[in-house]
Amino acid sequence: MSRLRVLLPFGLLIAFWWAIKSGFDISDKLLVAPPQVWSSFRVLIGHGILAEYVSTSLSMIGIATLVSFAIGVPLGFAVGTNRYAARALEGFLRYLQGISGIAWLPLAILWFGFTHTTTLAIVIYTLIVPIIFNTMTGVRAIPENYILALQSLGASRLRIVTDVYFPGALPSIVVGTRLGMGYGWRALIASEMLVRQGGLGDLIFGARTFGQIDRIMVGMVIIGTLYIVVDRLLVQPVETMTLARWGVLRK
Amino acid sequence: MIFSRVAWKLLPAAPAFVILTAWFVYWLVVRPPPSVIPSIADVVRTGAELAFGGRLLGDFIASMGRLLGGVAFGIATGMIMGFVAGVCRPVATFLNPLVVFFNAISGIVWLPLVIGWLGVGNALATFLIWNTVFFIIFQNTVLGIQLVPEVLEQGVRALGGGRWETIRTVTLPGALPYILSGVRSGLGFGWRALIAAELVGATTGLGQLIFSGSEYHRADIIIFGALLIGAIAMLMDRWLLAPIERRTVVRWGLVAASRGR
Repeated sequence: MSRLRVLLPFGLLIAFWWAIKSGFDISDKLLVAPPQVWSSFRVLIGHGILAEYVSTSLSMIGIATLVSFAIGVPLGFAVGTNRYAARALEGFLRYLQGISGIAWLPLAILWFGFTHTTTLAIVIYTLIVPIIFNTMTGVRAIPENYILALQSLGASRLRIVTDVYFPGALPSIVVGTRLGMGYGWRALIASEMLVRQGGLGDLIFGARTFGQIDRIMVGMVIIGTLYIVVDRLLVQPVETMTLARWGVLRK
Repeated sequence: MIFSRVAWKLLPAAPAFVILTAWFVYWLVVRPPPSVIPSIADVVRTGAELAFGGRLLGDFIASMGRLLGGVAFGIATGMIMGFVAGVCRPVATFLNPLVVFFNAISGIVWLPLVIGWLGVGNALATFLIWNTVFFIIFQNTVLGIQLVPEVLEQGVRALGGGRWETIRTVTLPGALPYILSGVRSGLGFGWRALIAAELVGATTGLGQLIFSGSEYHRADIIIFGALLIGAIAMLMDRWLLAPIERRTVVRWGLVAASRGR
């Protein structure tokens, strides 16, 4: 039943798409029929081309997430636990959120050329701002009484960090990471389109140069599917888990 | 005491001050080529030239026009579709998988395909913004309508209100705060999508301004443009959207105003 619920809308959509394609006799340069997309998919799979593009993109977003997490979380803690630092940086971070990573892409190209470094720099920038921001808000939302209580019981600074700050801020950190990965994935695709050094963005933008609509559509389906798989199967369960386990502190 | 109060007031300016100082010192000591890191004076001069030369105003108007068009279209279609899906559950169930999927590829991912349909220009940028904004508005509208307590709707109906009257007096005002939160974040996302779309999909606009900066190795133009893009985003959010949200969400909302995003 639930499988039908998912398949039926897509089935109808594909039928609609096919009907438009053959009904209006649209040129292959604008839209291709579903079977052409399928055969293009099989060609790309068969030669291992798709695997290469996918692994480039996935490793990029993976590296960027790890780096942003490793830098952003400690920085967010430092900012969040110090009210002077928080006041100094809050407005600045908000301002940076308004400049999307892609707006720095031209500058990154001047600095690092058309390389993976450029793409990584853009994706890390996009990811790290929401992580810092959410870590900071998470830390600041912790009731001060919890910290005072532990202090009065003689807990060390480290103990307070591991027992109060970290679990207290964790749900917010996870939310920030998930948001950041969503923004980062889109920035990655956009950056790959312009940098043209592999990855799914390169696949679809490169296919455009040769008018291979079938490849573009395969790429789009893969981009969407990968995002859903990573977000729903990997990140969302972590979020639900942390929220259920430690989320109480946010209220 | 007075000193510390002044310091507290000035604190938000500290990051800008630190960055400008570091930039200035780096530039004095290392003397990098201006195509990599320009001097602060260069950036200011370029900004003034662009602003008074008229190019900037043209790009600004082009970008704003696309943003307004795409966002308005996104709000209109998102609200209508979201309203239908919110009131009629089977429609929501049917659309949900499609919305999840197309939301995952919303915006810039469409560029290579749609550039063949619409060509480079306003239509393409507007489409990409619409595509980004639509899903945010749609999801917020559906959520808002579904979260209106059924008791309130039944109350109006029990007092003799028709279906349309119930929708007009209860469902829509109840959903409004969610819809407006959607409008606020939709505009933010639309702005990002616009800049990305203009990098390749337009010949004018602020995105094109900074992209042309990289073609001519003019880091000063890029830095000025990026800072301006951030400033516009911040001003739009602060002066336009935050007040609207305060007036409505805080007044009618069942939840406290969301913290800015």
